[in-house]
Amino acid sequence: MSLSSCLLLSAALFSVGVYGLLARRHLVAILLSIELMANAANVAFVAFGRFHGGTLGQTFTVFAIALTVAEVAVGLALAMLLFRRHGDTALAVATETKG
Amino acid sequence: MSTATLALLTLALPASAALVLAVVPILRTKGWPAATLAVLSAFLSFGCALGVLSRCLADPTPEVLAVPWLRTSNAVLAEVGVRVDGVVASMLVVVTLVALCVQVFSIGYMHDEPRPAFGRYFAYHALFLLSMNVLVVAPNLLQLFVGWELVGVTSYLLIGFYYRKPSAARAALKAFWVTKFADMGFLAGLLTLFAASGKFAWDARLAPGAATAVTMLLFLAVVGKSAQFPLHVWLPDAMEGPTPVSALLHAATMVAAGVFLVVRADPLFAQAEATRTVMLALGAATALFAACLALVQTDIKKVLAYSTCSQLGYMIAALGAGSMLAGFFHLTTHAFFKALLFLAAGSAIHAVHSNEIGEMGGLARRMPVTGAAFVIGALALAGVPGFSGFFSKDLVLEAVEGKLAGVPWAALLVTAFLTAFYMGRVVVVAFLGAPSGAKAEHAREPGWSMRGPLVVLAALAAGTGLFTASFAHLYGREYHFEMGVGPSIAAALALAGFGAAFAVFGRRGASLPRVLGLVDRLARASAVDRFYEFGYRRVAVTVAGGLGWLDRYVVDGLINLLGYEALEAGERSRAVQTGFAPDYLLAAMLGVVGLAAWGVLR
Repeated sequence: MSLSSCLLLSAALFSVGVYGLLARRHLVAILLSIELMANAANVAFVAFGRFHGGTLGQTFTVFAIALTVAEVAVGLALAMLLFRRHGDTALAVATETKG
Repeated sequence: MSTATLALLTLALPASAALVLAVVPILRTKGWPAATLAVLSAFLSFGCALGVLSRCLADPTPEVLAVPWLRTSNAVLAEVGVRVDGVVASMLVVVTLVALCVQVFSIGYMHDEPRPAFGRYFAYHALFLLSMNVLVVAPNLLQLFVGWELVGVTSYLLIGFYYRKPSAARAALKAFWVTKFADMGFLAGLLTLFAASGKFAWDARLAPGAATAVTMLLFLAVVGKSAQFPLHVWLPDAMEGPTPVSALLHAATMVAAGVFLVVRADPLFAQAEATRTVMLALGAATALFAACLALVQTDIKKVLAYSTCSQLGYMIAALGAGSMLAGFFHLTTHAFFKALLFLAAGSAIHAVHSNEIGEMGGLARRMPVTGAAFVIGALALAGVPGFSGFFSKDLVLEAVEGKLAGVPWAALLVTAFLTAFYMGRVVVVAFLGAPSGAKAEHAREPGWSMRGPLVVLAALAAGTGLFTASFAHLYGREYHFEMGVGPSIAAALALAGFGAAFAVFGRRGASLPRVLGLVDRLARASAVDRFYEFGYRRVAVTVAGGLGWLDRYVVDGLINLLGYEALEAGERSRAVQTGFAPDYLLAAMLGVVGLAAWGVLR
């Protein structure tokens, strides 16, 4: 397996994430899309680490996974609050930040 | 004790009285303590001034007692202190003596005032005496300027003494504004003098141009303070103050400060022939002009006020002709007889409760001392031979004779006739003849405190002429009286003026003959006041209105526009915040794409 095919996978995952981020209307789906993008980055880290010869990429990925967990915890808490407040997790109902 | 220390006491005494009265209110509100303190300090000052004069007569060398005032790192710019010479000594005596007489007179005159007002009045008087003495003993022009402004302030306070009366408050403001305008000339003159010579001394040698500039600027201040045309308008209005105040400030001492300034700054004025010519012309013109206006007044104080303008014109003309002695001697005699006239008029007003000469009449029989005092003052003012005014007026006429093709001389002679005529009118209408009403019939002679000063001043007004020679000696000059052509003409004119007044007003009372009615109308039409009124209402208010418009609509408008635009910008940019989270996500993504593109393409 070559580096470029790994990066291709990473780019594909990232694009799917971006699409999801922009196209989905519910917070949970958007969180999933963000997870996809983060994991695309992780794939790229690991791939670079593997082909560069060292453990730095894998180390970084472990930290990134830990960060992602925290991010998801906050994101899900937000989704729950949104649901409690509006009875829905569609982002369109939360207009408090309208100027 | 040295002479200068004695002169310093004439400052210290009224200064301590004024200070004590300023910081201890109870002395003022009780009334009598203030009067006692003020009169006592004036009396002691007068004693010191007499001491100064007697020593100066014995030894006329100037004596200076001064301490450095304004220092720079390596020089003293000005000194503050006392300078004593012949001029100062005689002026000190005049000021303190007239002040003493007026204050004693005021005890009776102001007796019916409420106690706090009575106390306030005497506190102002103590302040005035201090201010005037600061001016008189000044060793340089800077200290003189300080005194000059201080007497301006006390003049404002005393004109506006009845401050609840709108006309008095207005008159006080007017006097302050007009003299303040003129005082800008003093300040500018001082600065020019300092720029040219590096000192504030009045004996500096200057380049011809600088000398003319400095003296012209100083003369502007003199025109304001000594009520010369066209800045004379404040003096008749200043008669709103109590009559003794008019006697002291607006006849005898403060208005003469302008003349005193020119006498002091004689070495400067001697270097500027152009300024002297202007002074001669303006002084003579004012003398004649003000005498014409005095003819048509019906208010006894207004007659005396215009007469004061006229007599100050005499002094200015004499100074313009280069005779300091004549100008200063006329100042001295005028101080005595005009203070006397004002106090006698005050006594009449006190008895009749009216300023109108038409409402008086026959007062001489009811009030013999007041009547005699007024007549002596009138004779002295008119320059009837033997009285003090005759000698001083004669010196003035002698000084201006032959200058400027004899025009000022002729004008002053005509003025001498008019002076006798208008004083004769007041004497005939107010003091002789029959009482014109119940008020005049029940007029009674005032108490001793008012009669005493009248007697003292009457003696001085009659007799000061006898001391002309010693006065000239004090000034370092010789004087011998000769009844030549000039004095004879002046004397004849004075007597003719009285005769004409008796002939015209003996039967008809206060009403003006047709010719004078014409003068009256002319005077009203040509009133300088109207010009200033026009300047104020039309010019100043219009300009101010224009500037106000500019400020409101252009300056403020610009600021308001900036604020409005900031608000508008905010209003327009709020559309960016849609409140729809995916829009923010899109923006973030576009940012990322932008950054990536920048990173790749860089």
